[in-house]
Amino acid sequence: MPRPLVFSRNRCTAVEQIDEQTFKSTCRLQDPLNDAFVQITVKLPDFEITGVTGEFYRTCQDECLDISQAFEKMKGVRIGSGMLKIIKGLVAEATGCRQLGFMIEECCHGVILSFTKDQLLQLPEGEEIPVEQYQQMVRDNVRLFNRCAAFAPGSSMVEGIDLT
Amino acid sequence: MFKFQRNKLVSIKKDGETLAVHGVLDDDVYGLEIDVSFNIEDLNILSIKGKWNRWTSPECPRALLFLNEAVGSSAYEKDFSQKMFKLVGRKACRHYANLLAECGHSAREAVRLMQWEEAKSDNPDLTFNEYIKNVTPNLPPTSTSVAVSSGQVHPEDKNDIDRIVYEKTSGGTLIDLHVHTYPASPCSSAPVDQLIEEAKKIGLDAVCLTDHNHVWSKDDVEELRQKHGFLVLRGNEITTNQGDMLVFGMEKDIKGIITLEDLRAEVLAEDGFIIVAHPFRGFLIVGVDEMGLTPEKAMERPLLKFVDAVEVMNGKVTKKENEFASKVASGLGLPATGGSDAHEVVEVGRYATHFDDIIKNEQDLVDALKKVRYSPVDIYSTVTTKQ
Repeated sequence: MPRPLVFSRNRCTAVEQIDEQTFKSTCRLQDPLNDAFVQITVKLPDFEITGVTGEFYRTCQDECLDISQAFEKMKGVRIGSGMLKIIKGLVAEATGCRQLGFMIEECCHGVILSFTKDQLLQLPEGEEIPVEQYQQMVRDNVRLFNRCAAFAPGSSMVEGIDLT
Repeated sequence: MFKFQRNKLVSIKKDGETLAVHGVLDDDVYGLEIDVSFNIEDLNILSIKGKWNRWTSPECPRALLFLNEAVGSSAYEKDFSQKMFKLVGRKACRHYANLLAECGHSAREAVRLMQWEEAKSDNPDLTFNEYIKNVTPNLPPTSTSVAVSSGQVHPEDKNDIDRIVYEKTSGGTLIDLHVHTYPASPCSSAPVDQLIEEAKKIGLDAVCLTDHNHVWSKDDVEELRQKHGFLVLRGNEITTNQGDMLVFGMEKDIKGIITLEDLRAEVLAEDGFIIVAHPFRGFLIVGVDEMGLTPEKAMERPLLKFVDAVEVMNGKVTKKENEFASKVASGLGLPATGGSDAHEVVEVGRYATHFDDIIKNEQDLVDALKKVRYSPVDIYSTVTTKQ
């Protein structure tokens, strides 16, 4: 007879567009020790976080019970490059509730990925982005080079690209 | 309108002395799974196996080749998530790094639950909250010092690359105002001595060390100047709630995230100077037109009221992002600077700032920045020779 699991976790992040310029991203977390939700409101075109709300219904960390002050600090922060260290410093380190930082990060990633999804939807069905287009992306944005295995030397997506 | 959903699921079962962790990440764009085995005693990763279900680029599957970079790491390590992003995110794929971090944190919680179950055998009424208040949470039973690979290309690997040499045609001082060195900036792989030698070699007059939230001691920098016979200056790249700021002429060591308003007050108190670093880094990836971001709109950003200048040439951003920053600076009448943002030796001097004045020390630098007798320089567009 197989033994039951010793632990399971479910984290779900969903992004909604409220109006042309406003997005809401919500992260819910459930596991034996935590039951929590965090929601951020984001305004375009700056990807500025204009509101954060959330609550830990169940947690074994007292630090996660009083988190409202961290919400205020996040207002005005922009989603984008460098945001992770800002979230870590303003939320996780300032409150001691590390999980809150992870949940805000997930909300932010969700917003970015919703745009990735939109870009992919613009491709005709069954069609893939040609390798040459990826190569051009790397030429246009040197930061992509070596960012992950797909953009590392040896990949067709960076073949023939001389960054020196 | 519903736009996007991501689900992550982690399930853990005990398998003798190990935890068998299965992680699933499934969203509208990516689908992936991993099986990770952790040693229960020290939560060291023993093995990782990944499987793609859905991906975006033809080369994404290569990520599976590099997942084992994380084997040997322990989920008890202080910055486990960061380490996963460094080892697996950069070499393999950030989505696998994300899922591995989730699995590691879950494994830690699982061990705490298992230890509580054990403690309950002596005290059946012991609640989980009572239990964890009496133990030091999230600490390994034994030391878990594990060798960490930086996950970055080592500078020596690239040192044989021919470098462009800048030939000055006028007087003044050419300074790379933005460089990072290792270990002062953990994200850099450039040893300071090698970086200075490279700066000399390519024809710069000085470099300004701007390591992240790090104040170099005057003595250490003086020693570097003497050792290399080269002008080495001090700055600091400070992370604020509004992004990274290059600060000059300030001795105070700022730790943690500071608000830009508070940083401004600190800098003013020491009569220093603030340059907003790479203000539009990454913001234009999705496309300016789609976002409706115009230079005019960007000029309204409150943060620009708290800075003295704008870095409009940064070696780590796209040409478009630099051009956008330049338009914003020019629209606001703010001075513009350039710096490489080098994190590797070969990157130093990609961009720099040319000062009309001769700069001999840090006070000269701050005075010159305030006088606004300088301009950013794109080394590639001004070079004449190659070594």
